[in-house]
Amino acid sequence: MASRLSFVAVEQRALPASPVTAIFAALLLSLLFALSGCIKESDITLEQRAHQLAGELMCPVCNGQTIDGSSAQIAVDMRLKVRDLLDEGSTNAEVRDYFVLRYGQDILAAPERSGFSLLAWIVPVIIVLGGIGIALLSIKSMRKSGLEAQPVGGISAVANQKQNDLSDYLAQVDRHLSVGSGIKSDEPNESGDAPASEKAKS
Amino acid sequence: MADLGVMALLLGLALSAYSAIGAIIGEKIGMAALVVSARRALYMTTVTAIVASGALINAFVQNDFSIAYVADHSNTLMDRAFVWVAFYAGNEGSLLYILLALSVISAISVWFAPKRLARSMPWTIAILAIIQLFYFGVLAFVASPFELLATVPLEGRGINPLLTHPGMFSHPPLLMGGLIGVTIPFAFVSGALIAGNYGDDWIDVARVSAIITWGVLGTGMLLGAWWAYTILGWGGYWAWDPIENVALMPWLVMTAFIHSIMVQKRRGMFRMWNVALLNIAFVLAQLGMFINRGGPVVSVHSFAASTLGTIFLLFMMVSLVFAFALFLWRMPQLKSDRAMESFVSREASFLINNFLFLAVMGVTLWGVLFPVFSDLARDVSVSVSAPYFDRVNGPVLLGIVVMMGIGPLLPWRKTSARSMKQWFVWPIIVGLITIGILVALGIQRPVAIFSFGVLAFVATAIGEEWWRGTAARHRSGDNWALAWWRLVNGNRPRHGGYIVHISILMLALGIIGTNFYQQRTNGSLALGESLVIDSYRIEYVDTFDSSRPDRIAQWAEMTVYQIDPDDYKQEISFAKAQGSSGFTLKDSTLRPNDELIDTIEPWHGFYIDFNMASVRSGIRSTVVEDLYVIPRDFLADGRVSLAVSINPLAWWLWVSGPFFIIGTMVALWPQAAVERRPARKRLKGESEGEL
Repeated sequence: MASRLSFVAVEQRALPASPVTAIFAALLLSLLFALSGCIKESDITLEQRAHQLAGELMCPVCNGQTIDGSSAQIAVDMRLKVRDLLDEGSTNAEVRDYFVLRYGQDILAAPERSGFSLLAWIVPVIIVLGGIGIALLSIKSMRKSGLEAQPVGGISAVANQKQNDLSDYLAQVDRHLSVGSGIKSDEPNESGDAPASEKAKS
Repeated sequence: MADLGVMALLLGLALSAYSAIGAIIGEKIGMAALVVSARRALYMTTVTAIVASGALINAFVQNDFSIAYVADHSNTLMDRAFVWVAFYAGNEGSLLYILLALSVISAISVWFAPKRLARSMPWTIAILAIIQLFYFGVLAFVASPFELLATVPLEGRGINPLLTHPGMFSHPPLLMGGLIGVTIPFAFVSGALIAGNYGDDWIDVARVSAIITWGVLGTGMLLGAWWAYTILGWGGYWAWDPIENVALMPWLVMTAFIHSIMVQKRRGMFRMWNVALLNIAFVLAQLGMFINRGGPVVSVHSFAASTLGTIFLLFMMVSLVFAFALFLWRMPQLKSDRAMESFVSREASFLINNFLFLAVMGVTLWGVLFPVFSDLARDVSVSVSAPYFDRVNGPVLLGIVVMMGIGPLLPWRKTSARSMKQWFVWPIIVGLITIGILVALGIQRPVAIFSFGVLAFVATAIGEEWWRGTAARHRSGDNWALAWWRLVNGNRPRHGGYIVHISILMLALGIIGTNFYQQRTNGSLALGESLVIDSYRIEYVDTFDSSRPDRIAQWAEMTVYQIDPDDYKQEISFAKAQGSSGFTLKDSTLRPNDELIDTIEPWHGFYIDFNMASVRSGIRSTVVEDLYVIPRDFLADGRVSLAVSINPLAWWLWVSGPFFIIGTMVALWPQAAVERRPARKRLKGESEGEL
């Protein structure tokens, strides 16, 4: 037991705040530095760009496939056309425009980020931020609700304990009657729940 | 055979109607015998579904082309092993398969349902019977697989060539079974709510059936991805196609459910929320069935059957109204026992994780429906495909992975600053070191580098807990392996969950690698010529024909060499100037450092009747990267045109599968064994005089 306690103690002393913070800051800085100078577009060949663009254009005759994925003749021709346009020095946006002009907007695998189609891009942001917002608000309201945080042994905890006892009792009855053999209640294993080293400490 | 099938379907229809009505009336007038007979009728519908399926399978075995479905989906050339695949290869057969799966799992779950749910069982039975009734009705009157042809053809059309792959024996059944399986937890929870059984009696049934369904659905999707990767020949595995999305959405919601149900189990919280999650999952599964049967969006997978679309749309609407009316009716009774104590607790992190899962689901649903919406609102059609979903879902999925590292380390109720520091210092350090190393190595793509850091963070968090737990047990005398095993066994749901988390990390590794670092080059080779990409040289050495009456097909034999780029300096710089990622070599003389590492045999076939090409990619897979050779076409002049890509870390995608399954099974392993354990342990302790 003594060795376990000292293990924990040593572990906590081994990681004092200041060096950790220093390492953290240093790594964060190196990360920022890396992010600033990382992208070298020159390394990307025209072929890579053509491949990437092929993944952004739909095949007009195949249901829901991009020309990158389709072996239909029109997809083959379109892939060649993409490469030709890039060889002529077109930008990615110009290639996309070329196809939109000829096939309509639904040739693009992702909607444009303008006009009505902007909705397609804005709504997800609202959904995600709204979702996180609702989650945080509901945690907040669950904290403030009538059920104030009770210390263990408080009224609701006792009531709940009773309920648990009852269901354990019923589970036991089930067992004794040897029914419901497939799906049985398990007894909450509170000790197995805390992270293991916490358990070792206690 | 056809007569037997039709009779079985009609009998099943009558039995399921009787079961539904009998269960409800028996419960209302308090006639127990009627409820018992309703339950037995539900078992009998399973028998009729099995007989109907057997009749159809037998018709395939007998090559009974008088049945339209059989003539459409097989022929005498078909390998007999594919009878099972042909069974669900079309619209009608797949509906019959879904009914078969539903009736079998209904019977099993009703049979094994715990006795303390007795009060709500009539309602559960009624719900299951009504859903079966719907499928029996559709199969008997709208989409019968036993429709006869006026004139019997001598030969059938044959099976869809894309389905003749080992993955097809399990991918569609698991996917469809997983989707319809959502019905089971839904029926149990709804039954309990209708009966006014508000306690937590249903937790275990719902949790177990939800995890099974979730595991089956997840495995089905992974197998589908693997099938796409090896046979569809586009170098990808997940296209964010509408049909893939409608399978993913209920899975995401179920994932949220199997996490938050633990909060209810342990803390008596989130009741209302859990019921809502199951309702959403069930309605989404119905949406999946609808979109699959001639819904409004185009997909590679959909069955074109417009009349069925309306029927399934109606059924989905009814499900939606029912689920939410029930929810609103019983909502006041579903209060939590306890309040949330802290933002930094496991229950709070589970809630945030739940909302992230729902956010991905909501965004995906928005993407699936936006084309319909755009059509209706302004009469302009747009496509919403992979580039969109990658962009909008990628960051949220990464957020979920981050929560996967944080949530499990937080204790229930609240967290002290000290314990935070104790648990999070190492994962953060390892994550940052990983990022630092990748940057130092000159790896590109900041987003991917950051994601790798996140994966390292999560892996360290899991590893740390296993390490500390195992070390603690090791110190008390167990050897390392046994200590770990005991740790896992001590709390299977938790540690099974960790194993699944590890499989998700593997999956994420593969997804990031293939999405951010894939290289691709195109070229065509005559015999003896080679194509060089990155550090591989692929030589086209031989070809042989494998045509049959129904197809034109050819194998190519290719040898793969590992090369030293220094040997090819001139060609590489020339190719770069041309804008190509790779180049071809006319002569077959090897350079000094070329080393033979593998032989691959890509295959290309064209099925005449189906006007459809099918390929088997040549894949050389290693832990680091896959060399992936797609034969686009065998040309008339004897050349083969190829698309060759390098898919970094793709191997990890498929390794994650076994871990996913094992983890799910560990989490599910019957509780009976856990219950017995303490007694055995005590006995052992007494006899050895310990403790």
